[in-house]
Amino acid sequence: MLFIVCALSCEAKPLISALSLRKDNFACPYDTFFSTDSSVVLTVSGMGTVLAASATTYLLTRFGFSPEKDFLINFGSCAGKEPGFHLINRITDEATGRSFYPDMLYDLSACGLPASSEKALVTVSKVVAFLKDPNVLYEMEASSIFLAASRFVPPHRMIFLKYVSDSGTDDPKKITSAMLQEGAEKQVSKILAVLEHLKTIVEDDYAIDEDLFLNTFLNLRASETMRHELRQLFRYAKAEGLDMEKLLSDLEKEGLYPVNSKREGKEVIDVIRQRLI
Amino acid sequence: MSSGKDSFNFPFSHIYVEEKVMDEDLTKSILLRYKKSVVIPISHYKDVFNRPRQSFYHQKRSPMLILAKNTGTSVFKGAPVCQDFGYDHFYYTSCARNCIYDCEYCYLRGMYGSGNVVVFVNIEDTFAEVEELLKEHPVYLCVSFDTDLMALENITGFISRWAEFTKAHQDLTIEIRTKCFRKDLFDKIPACDRVIFAYTLSPQEIIDKFEKKTTSLSERLSAASCAMGKGFPVRLCFDPLIYVKNWNDLYTSMFSEVKNSIDIHQLKDVSVGSFRISSEYIKKIRKDFPGSSICQFPYENKGGYMQYPEKIKNEMENTLVTLLQTLISKEKIYRIENEENP
Repeated sequence: MLFIVCALSCEAKPLISALSLRKDNFACPYDTFFSTDSSVVLTVSGMGTVLAASATTYLLTRFGFSPEKDFLINFGSCAGKEPGFHLINRITDEATGRSFYPDMLYDLSACGLPASSEKALVTVSKVVAFLKDPNVLYEMEASSIFLAASRFVPPHRMIFLKYVSDSGTDDPKKITSAMLQEGAEKQVSKILAVLEHLKTIVEDDYAIDEDLFLNTFLNLRASETMRHELRQLFRYAKAEGLDMEKLLSDLEKEGLYPVNSKREGKEVIDVIRQRLI
Repeated sequence: MSSGKDSFNFPFSHIYVEEKVMDEDLTKSILLRYKKSVVIPISHYKDVFNRPRQSFYHQKRSPMLILAKNTGTSVFKGAPVCQDFGYDHFYYTSCARNCIYDCEYCYLRGMYGSGNVVVFVNIEDTFAEVEELLKEHPVYLCVSFDTDLMALENITGFISRWAEFTKAHQDLTIEIRTKCFRKDLFDKIPACDRVIFAYTLSPQEIIDKFEKKTTSLSERLSAASCAMGKGFPVRLCFDPLIYVKNWNDLYTSMFSEVKNSIDIHQLKDVSVGSFRISSEYIKKIRKDFPGSSICQFPYENKGGYMQYPEKIKNEMENTLVTLLQTLISKEKIYRIENEENP
């Protein structure tokens, strides 16, 4: 699943529309939208670090973020020198001075985000009047999203995407919703390409057959220590591509399994080990 | 292990550089070499290297480079599971952390939270530390520990620096352990009988399956032969021996290849040891690499170290030692023997 956090509804609207996301009518503390195939969920956090951190935690816990399968994406506007769409490689929290680094493992150049589009970003507490450093971007949520998410999300599964909406202003009212929405609309095709690309990154499943394991554990009258041993043998068999079900079936034919006592169970675990290695 | 195989950036596509080493000569030369890489300034290498929940597995697919200054102690006493080859004052040092190879059994997977490569550019500080130790006693120092320094030579030049430093310090002996195929270096660095090149050898089938991105057995043997020819002492390390069902055939066949490629009588010595790893490390590795049969093997815990069942361990080690003894004296064969790993 792709988990998306946007600060403002005007930033999220073009994406909600392009992905045909439906509003979650469950009593949500944050406006939340999801796709009918449950591949995308998006929440609108509100502006600033506290709301962003809180919404991120809500989203990740409510929808059960999986570190092996899911991605967290923060999409939104920022202040910068020139218009453009950027992948963020460093996030500095201005208030604390701490910097955070999403892992830059994936090549997103095919999605319109070549290495030259990468930028560092500073998270500030209010709209910037001017760009202190013209080489970096300024916005108001990313550091807290990273910090909150880092409790759940590996750094290679966090993607921060920002489009430049302005170059700083001393009057925040000048940055209108229409302006931000228009900026987001211009980047929709790129962000859709990124989302599609991320969906293709799927890890192989090395989980053992839990039903077979539990059944074997019970049939061997195993103790807690034996359960650990048995689980490791199941894992080894899976990694080595060995058929545990057949091995157990062979043991059953030989009259060795199931067993009548813990002692017999221990002996059978030894037999399983010997046959596997 | 994952689809989207073309999704990854190229290795060292991003170079994280501590601000305090940005102007160091070595930093500049490395950055010049990687002009296409994105340079990201950082305040401390641990901000990147020690992040929580990193994926060693994925980072190995596309490792990033971190250039940093080592500010603490960089020379350490050798651990009991490491062979000291009869030297009294056995130390190791790490001018780099992690390596560009991807060996499935590597203990670094359990030791570090990151698969990225750190290079400490201030090697002069390590030299100074070694000089302090040399004032007290002779030193035997493994310089290619926690990395394969030879494989990083193109970007760091550390092997050349260590060779020159060792040549100038009579009481220092260094070991450079490697799986690298490079031979050109032996013409560039001064020959010295205290600079030992130690080649880790495995059967080609084991290399193909478990030592990804490394060089072939024949390339390693050719490099070892070349080093001996240029006057460097060479050690062959049959360590770790990796168990597979047909291990006997594989290792016997490898031994024949070694015998045919190298003048074994010229070797300084050899080491033999079956795979063993700290039980703490294996816990982490098993979690990170669920699909690795080496990691998931049901090892036995002996004094905090996981090792093959005694029968397998002894059979493998004895077989190799017996083969070696047909060509090399017993005194030159080192085998792990200590309390933790008898």
